[in-house]
Amino acid sequence: MTRRAQARLGILLTIPVLALVVVFFVFPMISALYFSVVDFDGIDPSPEFVGLANFIEMFTDPETWHALSNNVIWIIVGTAAPMIIGLLISVLIWTTRRGAGIYRLAFFLPFVLPGVAIGIVWTWIYDPVSGWLNRALEAVGLDGLVRGWLGDPDLALYAVLATAIWAYSGFVIIIFLSALRNVDVELVDASRIDGANALQRLWFILLPQIMPVFLMVLTLTLVGGFSVFDIIFIMTGGGPADATNVLGTYSYTQAFQLSRIGYGTTLALLITVLSIPFAVAINRLQRRLALQDTGA
Amino acid sequence: MFSRTPWRPLAALVAAGALFLTGCTGGAPGADQSQAPQETSGPQQIRYMIGQPEDPADLELIKSDIKKFETANAGITVKLDVIPSENVRTVLQTQLRSGEGPDVFGYDTGPGFAGALAQAGLVYDLTKAYEENDWPIYDFAKQRVTFDGKLVGVPSQIEEVGVFYNKDIFTELSIAQPQSVADLKAAMEKIKGSDVIPMVVSDKEGWQGGHLMSISLSSAVGSKTMDQLINGEKSWDSPEVVEALKVWQDFQQSGYLNPSPTAVTYDNGNALFYSGKAAMNPTGSWLALDIERNVKFDVGFIPFPAPNGPGIFSGGLGSGTFVNATTKHADAAIKFLDYGMTEEHGKWAVEKLQDIPAYPVDTAGIEASPLFKQILDDSAKIADGTGDFGYNVDVLTPDAFNNAMWKGMQGLLTDQTTPEKVAAQLQAAYEKSKK
Repeated sequence: MTRRAQARLGILLTIPVLALVVVFFVFPMISALYFSVVDFDGIDPSPEFVGLANFIEMFTDPETWHALSNNVIWIIVGTAAPMIIGLLISVLIWTTRRGAGIYRLAFFLPFVLPGVAIGIVWTWIYDPVSGWLNRALEAVGLDGLVRGWLGDPDLALYAVLATAIWAYSGFVIIIFLSALRNVDVELVDASRIDGANALQRLWFILLPQIMPVFLMVLTLTLVGGFSVFDIIFIMTGGGPADATNVLGTYSYTQAFQLSRIGYGTTLALLITVLSIPFAVAINRLQRRLALQDTGA
Repeated sequence: MFSRTPWRPLAALVAAGALFLTGCTGGAPGADQSQAPQETSGPQQIRYMIGQPEDPADLELIKSDIKKFETANAGITVKLDVIPSENVRTVLQTQLRSGEGPDVFGYDTGPGFAGALAQAGLVYDLTKAYEENDWPIYDFAKQRVTFDGKLVGVPSQIEEVGVFYNKDIFTELSIAQPQSVADLKAAMEKIKGSDVIPMVVSDKEGWQGGHLMSISLSSAVGSKTMDQLINGEKSWDSPEVVEALKVWQDFQQSGYLNPSPTAVTYDNGNALFYSGKAAMNPTGSWLALDIERNVKFDVGFIPFPAPNGPGIFSGGLGSGTFVNATTKHADAAIKFLDYGMTEEHGKWAVEKLQDIPAYPVDTAGIEASPLFKQILDDSAKIADGTGDFGYNVDVLTPDAFNNAMWKGMQGLLTDQTTPEKVAAQLQAAYEKSKK
């Protein structure tokens, strides 16, 4: 086969993937860029071109920065907590022989539930009138902690975050458990004989061996933190008074409730622009570690 | 090394295709309803979307009414689609914009609701249907569903917003009907000491804040000033508005309301009133039937008091029925609307659902509780324009204003903002939406 023929075959073989990339990535991206420079209300087929007005408004809009700061909180707490909880529980289950299957099922179950259902159920749990959380606190004498969890602007975001952590940790546990199956047990035993304590074994023996998987889960969680929407939308709608607004809910409100699709799209673009560098950076780190492992 | 040349035309093709596709985007469905192809032959099914009624019994009544329509109109079936009331706004807008919306739907009237849909071209122009069917809707009600000279809906509910109160608790504590805000505060102080929540305020969903502001403002400034505010002749950041907003923050800070109003849903707030755990419930007349079904005590309905007087109700039009701009069954949908416009149907709605239609219905002989009788009498005054009523603001103001009002009230109830700031935001939102 000539080089030209090889090239043609190569192009031919990449066309299906290329088509998918164009339809599901390039086209939506160009479409979003188009909407971000027009004042589109959702109906006018020839919306007015406004140049960078939507971008200027976005950067001068205090609510953008407030929503972004909530995203940052979500990313930090919502990434760190499930990663730590997931790692600790998966290591505990890994060393457990009896009932490991039951633990796996119990921890993974929340992850397979639809986000909307989780949001609704936890809204009931947090409800100050009929929710069992406040009732449980009262029952154990912690009346001072009773409050309207989702109505308190200082607490609402963390209350929703707690729900998200509960729901997501199961996924982290299962993935880490799968990774732990490939860990060299002899190394762990050797380190134990050498006197390494549990924390040292976790840090120096286990974690390096599952690092590629750890970084993969970290990437998914981080990027998910930028695009978080459903659980906040269901539980608080971004309220009270925007207290739990993140870029996703703010973008939705602007685009679909206030018919400002141009501005809403601009906010959505910000989410994309912010999340891509994180994903790329962690992906590169993952590759570098993989290369180190192969001695390259 | 492979030649890079073959990629260039391909890349150009991809870019050109993407740009072409981009050029094709931009129109939500419904811009021109004449484009919607009609299916007129054979059996037709229309999808009718409504918010979940407060009481499941109402849903059964609506279902039986639909069956009656289907029997009278062979070949048309109605698929009832019931969604949680708090989701109607978002679900409906999303479905309509995607071109997959219901054929007929119940929604609130006014510029912030139906007006926003009309502006986006998502609702069917019913002007011709009005002429052809001679629907006897009150003129004031027609105005609420008229946008850019087009009648886009059928108003179906006259309502007033005020304060329901537990008469038994008032009697027990020897409290008379408040004749001013000072009276109301004194009453709440007394109730507070009896381990009952003086006034339940639910504002988790946010829209209730519009009603709270409407009733305190309408009573404080009167109907004429409300007209001026709505019409832009008076500024929303005027001291009267600030004072009316301040009332709610004051109530919250004084402990007259339930803890965390912004965490309490409308249904749960009502439940506190039904169970006797709260003495007063500021909401609209649409709740009267549910109150009668759920409480074991006498209930009164009063206007929110003015600073120096008993105050006035915020009255007007609530919801209506609309047709999707892209429906393929416009004739069937209009027949369905026409069915709800008869005198017989009006009486049925009043008697069974306590819905007060926006067209003349002879209510003589209708069995009504004293509470509903009062609401019926008031509604007649709203219809013929003889009573003094304020406004339920969110029915008359655009989306951006309502958004500012709802968030502002949540902010006040959680001490995140001040009445002055909220008033300024209201004025800014009003000016912006007028541009």
